[in-house]
Formats: sequence, structure tokens, C-alpha cells
Amino acid sequence: MTDAIRVAVAEDSAILRDGLVQLLGDRGFEITEAVSDSQALRASIERDLPDVAVVDIRMPPTFTDEGLRAALELRQRHPRLGILLFSQYIETRYAAELLAEDAAGIGYLLKDRVADVSDFVEALVRVASGGTALDPEVVTQLVGASRRSDSLSGLSARERQVLSLMAEGRSNAAIATSLVISEGAVEKHVANIFTKLDLPVSQSDHRRVLAVLRFLDS
Amino acid sequence: MTKTEVDGSGGDVQVLGEKERLIVVSEVRLEQGRRLARIVVHEPLGRRAWRELLYFVLGGLLTGVAVAFIALTMFTGIALLITFIGVIIVAASVRGSRGFGRYHRALARNLMVEDIDEPEPFASKPGFFGWLQSALRDRVGWRAMWYSVLKVPLVIVGTWFALSVWIDAFFCLTYPVWGSGNTEPKGFGVVWNLFPPGYLSIGTSGFLHGLSIFITGLLLVLLAPWTMRLIVRLDRWLMRLLLSPDPVTARMRTLEDDRARTVDASVATLRRIERDLHDGTQAQLVALAMRLGQAKEKLAEPGELDLDQVRRLVDEAHRGAKETIVELRDLARGIHPPVLDTGLEGALSTLAARSTLPTELTVELRDRPTPTIETIAYFCVAELLANVAQHAQASRATIGCVQHGQWLRLVVRDDGRGGARPSAFGSSSSGLAGLTDRVHTVDGHLSITSPIGGPTVVTVDLPMHG
Repeated sequence: MTDAIRVAVAEDSAILRDGLVQLLGDRGFEITEAVSDSQALRASIERDLPDVAVVDIRMPPTFTDEGLRAALELRQRHPRLGILLFSQYIETRYAAELLAEDAAGIGYLLKDRVADVSDFVEALVRVASGGTALDPEVVTQLVGASRRSDSLSGLSARERQVLSLMAEGRSNAAIATSLVISEGAVEKHVANIFTKLDLPVSQSDHRRVLAVLRFLDS
Repeated sequence: MTKTEVDGSGGDVQVLGEKERLIVVSEVRLEQGRRLARIVVHEPLGRRAWRELLYFVLGGLLTGVAVAFIALTMFTGIALLITFIGVIIVAASVRGSRGFGRYHRALARNLMVEDIDEPEPFASKPGFFGWLQSALRDRVGWRAMWYSVLKVPLVIVGTWFALSVWIDAFFCLTYPVWGSGNTEPKGFGVVWNLFPPGYLSIGTSGFLHGLSIFITGLLLVLLAPWTMRLIVRLDRWLMRLLLSPDPVTARMRTLEDDRARTVDASVATLRRIERDLHDGTQAQLVALAMRLGQAKEKLAEPGELDLDQVRRLVDEAHRGAKETIVELRDLARGIHPPVLDTGLEGALSTLAARSTLPTELTVELRDRPTPTIETIAYFCVAELLANVAQHAQASRATIGCVQHGQWLRLVVRDDGRGGARPSAFGSSSSGLAGLTDRVHTVDGHLSITSPIGGPTVVTVDLPMHG
């Protein structure tokens, strides 16, 4: 199991932590450590650098956003470390802070997503390998709050679906599977979106995410 | 004689006879008399007497200035009231009176120990007309004006009745220096005038004449601090009445504080509920969904089905669901116990029955308190019983819930080790401090007596209709 993805888990609820450890172990991940607060997470990362850390945003002692703070700090020190933030609520502000510099190896998901185990595992793998995984809720909020609604209204319904999935960080192949269309059709939609919104075309998925998010946020 | 006898019996005689008892009594009287004499003689030399004299003189001068200002401004203002300028002058008069009030308070604070709280600072509404309106409605200013006006008769009476005694005393004492022949000190105070001029003077000249007037002076010195104190005491009373913070404003401020505390308390409660939901129920449900999701995927997997694994997952999910139900029920009860709807007695008996140690309950209620009070009473008892179970090492507890007129008194007593202090109970949000805050929001009281070794008694008084 040398090529197993190595994961650190930071989650203060014991029941969820144990569940995650069990689930990830079952799916062939290697757990470096499972801790219950951000201080222990920092120490754990320094001891044994994993590929990705699953971090609860709200943890002791202040129960506000220490998970996010720890994540930002860890990214500064270990730019290749993937971070999957995990929360009961979606705060667009956190997403903005997290994605301010780079979307590579960043994930932000509602905790509910673990119920769909395969999707969750897929997102974790994506983040671990330098991709992006944004919760559909984050994308919905960003689209809803965007001041570019006039440009967005120029998109067809299908194109808007593709845009949202793109913003979540999915690849063309994943978008094709999710919408049950061919990959070629997805490519065509993507090209149309980039033309209509006047965005620079980029090849890698996470750059694409960033371009879309910047567009929505501007 | 008496002295020797007392000394002779001192220490040896255990039981005092009738004679000795009388002797002891007279000894006590003697001691009291000595103390009185000491006070009378020492008083004129004490700092207090001189400070009061200085206060009276300076206060009197200040009153003169204040009243001159008030009279001038008010008369002009009222005379010109028909024009707008009159209104401005009256407003200025009120504002000025407020300032004089501050000097009066400062004088009392510095010269006597009379520390009268500063009233609310003048709060002006924006704009000139706002200022005008605020000044005319400034209760503190109007009360300070009344103080200055009412102090005038006090200064007059005080001058004649108290200051005069000091002055007369001075002239009498110095008479031997400046007096001669047929002259007599010119007394003008009330004490002097109550008697024929020159009382206690013997003859009209000579040594005895001078001596007798000097002795009169000594007696007046002994008297002077006391008449002055009487006047100053009246002044202090007047000050506390008119120069203290306005009771109406003060009451409003208390109400505002109470309201802020209530709001804080309810925000804290909401936060606690959110935390409980977030860390408890929500986490439980996520874990539950996660297990079911895993089981679902296992069932959908092609090939050989690992029934044991699926069974384990479903089993864990089932247990998780049941735990979540219990947790939610406890949480809901923490927000509002449904049993309270049937009345406090039923709710308290449920609490007593649920308690981990034998608990005896006495309820004597003629009326039903308001729901707010019932809820506070319920949570007080719940928290206190939880504390007893956790900290007290008690073998039993009693709960008393008795109505005294318009008050509800809760008494929770345990036979534990005692030594409880408010800070030692739990955290500030959920512990005794939180309870105290909650009790205060309805003007109730909470007190603890908990000597080392016990027993601990916590008494909570709540208004029946808070």
C-alpha cells in the first residue's frame, strides 16, 4: 500500500472523526493521524506530512474558524499539501479567503457530502492530486451573489449547469458523466461559455476554476 | 473608695454579690460619663468640626453667588419670556445651576466624607433647538436650582444659629485681651440673645468680670461644633435629595441595564443551543448518513456481498439514530421542558425523581407564577441538583418551593461537604453565575451558604409575577 493517499484528519466531534477514519481506511486511504484541534493538526503535519488534510473549520478552543486559519498557515509552509475543509455551514467569505491565491489542492465541502461516499472520496482524491473541490452550495451562493448576472443570463440552461460543475472543480470527463452527455459535448459547452463570458481559456482544471470564480466574484 | 473595692474583688470573686453588682454598674456609668466628657472636650479640637465650619462658610458664599446668578437670569428670563431670548436665558439659568450643583458636590466631597454620586452628564440633542429643549428639560439642572434656592434659608438660619456660636466664642475668649472697663463682647447669635446680654459675667469690670466672660467663651466653644453639625446635617440631607443622580433617570438606566442583560442572556442561550445542535445532533446525523451511504454502496457493489460488513454498518447507523433521538429530546427539554406546561409542582417532582440521589420535595403554592418565573425556577433547581450530584458528595437533598406573598422562595439543601463558592460551580455560562444572571433579570436574588463540612443551602427568591 505504498501508493495509498495519505490523509490527516482534524475533526473535534469524536463520532464523526471515528466515522471518517473508518470510512477512509475502508476505501484504501492511509490515515497519518486523526486529531481533534488545530494545534494538534499543526504538530501532526510537521511530524508526518500527508498528501491531504481533512480539516473541520470550527474547532476548539474558540469554535469559530481556527480550522481555516490553520489550513491557510499550513498551505504557506507546505504548498503541496492538499487541504479539504469540512464544515456544517458554507460561508462564502471562507471560500474567498481560501481561494484568494490558488485553487490547486483546495477543497471546501459541507459535511453532509460524506453521505454520498463515492463523491466524497472522489473529491478527496482530486484535492490530494492538486485539483479543486468546491461544494455545489458554494458555487450556488457565488452565482447567486454575482454582479455579473447580465452576462450569466446570456448562457443557456445547459451551459449554466456546466459552469457550476466547472466551478466545483470537476474535469470534463466528470462533468460528462454527471450530466450524462458525451465529453465532446462538454468541451463544446465549455468553449461556448468561455467565449460568451470572455474568459481566457486554460487547460488545467484548477486554473479553470479560478478563472470562473474570479469572474463570478468581480 | 469604690475604686479600691472593685480592685480588691477583681479576678478573685467569681460570683458578684448585690453590692459588687451596683459597684460595677456605677463603674460602667462612670466610664460612659468619662467618654462623653472626652467627646465634648475633644470635639472642638477635632478636624471634623473645623472642616464643617469651613464647609459652611465656603458653601454659604457659593450659595450667595449661585442665588445671585439664578435670580438675575430667571427674573430677566421670565420677564423676557414673551420674546425668544427669554427662553434662552432660562435655559442658560438651568444649565448654570447644574454647574453650581457640581461645585457644591465637590465642596462636600473634599471637606466632608459626603460623597454624592455625580448625576448623568448633560446630554444635548443635536442642534441649537435640541440643546434648548434638553436644557429646559434637564431634571438635574432644575433640581440643582432648587437646591441653591432652598439653601438660602438654611444659610441664614445657620449663620444665626451655628456660625454665630463660633464668632461669639471667639469674642468671649479674646475678651481679656481687648476688653476693658465697662465694655462687653457684642454677641449676636441665638445663644447669646436667648439670655440677657453678658450672662455669666460678674460685675462690669475687673479680673472676675474678664474671667467669667472667658469661661463663657469656653462653654461656647464646646457648644459650637454641635449646632454647626446640626445645620450641616440638614444641608447634607438636602444635597442627597436634590444633588444626587435623578431617581427617574437612574431607574431608567437600571431598566436599560436589565434589558441589556436579558438580551445578552437570551443571545447566550441561543448560542448554547446552536452549539449543542452543531456539535451534537448535526454531527450525529452526518455520521449516520455516512454509515448508511457506505452500506448503500456496499449493497450496490457488484460481486460477492460482504454481509457482515453491511450488517455492522447498519447496526452502527441504527444505534446512532437512537442516540440522536435521545440527544434531541434532551436538547428540546433544555430549551423548554414540556412538563412545565402542567405547572411547577409537576415539573419539580419530575426533577426530584430524576435526580441521582434521594431528593425530597416540598411545594406550597397558592397561585401559579408566570411562565417566565416557572421556567427560571425550574432551571435553577435543575442546575442546583446537577451541582449537588457532581460536587457535593451528598447523600440526600431537599427542595423547598414556597410562596411568601408576592415572592416565590426556592431552597435547595444538601448534606454534602459544603465549601461551595459561586466561582467553583461549572463554567460561567452554564453554572451558578449564569443562574444568578438569569435570576437578576427578573429582579430576584440568589444566595449561598456553604460552610466547610456542609450543609450547603442555596436560596433563590423570585417575584411571583416577574
